Amino acid sequence: MANQSNLYTLTSSQKMMIFVLSMSLYGLSNMFTELIPALQLGPIELSVEYFAFIPLTLCMLFHPVYAAVGASVGEVIFGELMLGQFGGLGELEKFLTFSFAMYVAGRMVRDPLNRRQVGIAAMTGVIIHQLCSALVDIGKVWIGVEEFEAVPGLAPSVVIVEGVSFLNDVLFSGTLFALLPTLYLVPRLYGKIEPLLGIKPRVKSTKYESAGVITPKVVITGIVLAVVAFVAESLSETDWNFGEWDSGFEDRFGVGAIWLSLAAAAVIAAITIIIMRARAEKRSRNSGDAPHA
Amino acid sequence: MQLVRSWLNKITIERIQLELMNTAYGSGHASLSRLDPRCLLIWYLFFAIVPWFISNLTVLAGMFLMMVVTTILSRVTPFIILVLCLGLIGQVGWLFILSLFFGGDISSALPLLKLTLKLSVVSLASITVFSGMDPEKISDGLLALGMPAAFSFSLSYGYRILPVLFEEFRNVLLSYRLRGKAPEEPGVMYWRMAAYYLKLLVLSFFPLMLATAKRSRTTVEALETRGFSYGMKNPAAKKLKLAHLKVSTRDIMFLSGSAVYVSLLFWISGRL
Repeated sequence: MANQSNLYTLTSSQKMMIFVLSMSLYGLSNMFTELIPALQLGPIELSVEYFAFIPLTLCMLFHPVYAAVGASVGEVIFGELMLGQFGGLGELEKFLTFSFAMYVAGRMVRDPLNRRQVGIAAMTGVIIHQLCSALVDIGKVWIGVEEFEAVPGLAPSVVIVEGVSFLNDVLFSGTLFALLPTLYLVPRLYGKIEPLLGIKPRVKSTKYESAGVITPKVVITGIVLAVVAFVAESLSETDWNFGEWDSGFEDRFGVGAIWLSLAAAAVIAAITIIIMRARAEKRSRNSGDAPHA
Repeated sequence: MQLVRSWLNKITIERIQLELMNTAYGSGHASLSRLDPRCLLIWYLFFAIVPWFISNLTVLAGMFLMMVVTTILSRVTPFIILVLCLGLIGQVGWLFILSLFFGGDISSALPLLKLTLKLSVVSLASITVFSGMDPEKISDGLLALGMPAAFSFSLSYGYRILPVLFEEFRNVLLSYRLRGKAPEEPGVMYWRMAAYYLKLLVLSFFPLMLATAKRSRTTVEALETRGFSYGMKNPAAKKLKLAHLKVSTRDIMFLSGSAVYVSLLFWISGRL
C-alpha cells in the first residue's frame, strides 16, 4: 500500500489545470518573443528564440505530458493563430518535436531540488528540440525549392543559416532563457505552486506510470514522432504540381493534369474531415454508454 | 531615420494591449464573421494545404490576391499585418541575401519568391479565419468538426484571457521597475539596458506563474461546475451546444464563389 501512495495519479480536473496553466503562461511568453527585436551581428543573430524555461519548469514540477502538450497548444494559439503566423501542416512538426523535447526533459528530473539534475535536463531538452528543428528546416528547403540544385549558393547558405541559428539557440537562448531561469525557478516554485492546484509536491520516490528515465517506450515514441513530423513537413513543401514536375506530362494530358492535382488535394482534405468526424462520432458513441468513463 | 523613430514610437505596450483587445473582442462586426464557422474552417483547410503543392506563379499570385481581399474584409488590425511582414522578411530575406553572398544572382530570387507567395497565402488565410472571427464561433466550429474539447476550449479561453494576463504582467513588471534600479549608463548599443529589461522579463514570470496557477484552478473549477468534462463526453449535451450552427445560402455562395475563382485560376494558367 505504501508503494501505491507514491504513484503519481491525477484527477481529470488536475490534468486540465496543468494544461491550462502551461498553455496560458507559455502562450503569453510567446507573444513577447515574437515581438522582441533580434540583434543582428552580420549573419549571426542574437535573438530570444523562446522562453523555454516556462515549459521546462512546469514539466519538472508537474506531470510532464500535460505540461508539455499544454505549452505546445499555447504556442499554436497565442504565437501562431492570434498573430496570423500559422503555417498549416508545417506546424505539426514543431508541435511534436517541442512536446517531445519538453517531455523528455521533465522525465529526466527525479528530484526538483537537485540543481545539477535540473540543469542537465534543461539543456538536454533545448538541444533535442533545436537539433530536430534544424534538421527538419534544412530538409524542408532542400525539397521545397524545386530548383534547389540549380540555384548557385543556395545549398551552403541554407546549411550555414541553420547551423548558426542552432548554435545561437543552444548557446545564447539556451543558456540565458532556459538554463539559468530554470535553475532559479524550479527550487523556488517547488512546494509553492503545487498546492495552488491542489496537487501534492512530487518527492524523490514519486513514480509516473513507468519508473525508468529512458525506457524503450519513450525512445520508440520519440523516433516515431520525429519521422511523422519530418514526413509531414517534407510532403507539405514538395512541389507535386504535375505541370512543372514533368514538362512532357502537361503536353500529353493538358490541363487535365492540373485538375488531377486539384482533385487529389480536395480528396485529401475531404478524407481528413471524414476521418475526424468519424473518430469524433465513435468517441461520443463509446462514451455515450458510460459518460463518466 | 525620422520615419523609423516615429514608427517605433507607435509601438508601445499600451498600443499592443489595445490591439490585442481589438483582436479578442472587436471581430464580431466583420462581414466574414457572419459566415458559418464550419464552412470557413473547411475553406481554410483548403487554402492551408493546397498552396504547398502548387508551383505555378499565376495560380499562387491569384490566390494571394484573393487572400488580400478576404483579409481586408475581415478587418484585421494593422499590428498583425506588421508582425506577418516581419516574419516573412525574417524567413525568406536572409536566405536570399546569403545565397547572393555565396555567388548566386538575382535569379535565385524567383524560387524564393514562390516560397514567399506560398507562405503568405497560407498565413493570410489563417489571419482571415482566426483573427476575423469571433473566438467562440471558431471554437464551436472546431468542436463540430471533431477537434478535442480541450483544444477548442483553449482557443476561446486564450483569446479572452490574453488581455487580462497582459495587464497583470505589466503590473508585475512595473512593480519590479519601481523597486529596482535601472543601469545608469546604457552601455554600448544599449546592451546594459537590454540585459536589465530581459532579466526583469524573466523574473516577472515568478509571481506570474503563481498567480496564473491560482487563476487556472479557478477556471477549471468553474468549468467543472458547469459540467465541462461530463458534457463534452455526452453526445446529447454536445449536440445541444452546437445546435445554433446552421449552413445558410450565404455560406454556400461563399464556398462556391471561392471554388469558381480557384478553378478559373487553374484554367487561365493552363491557357498561358
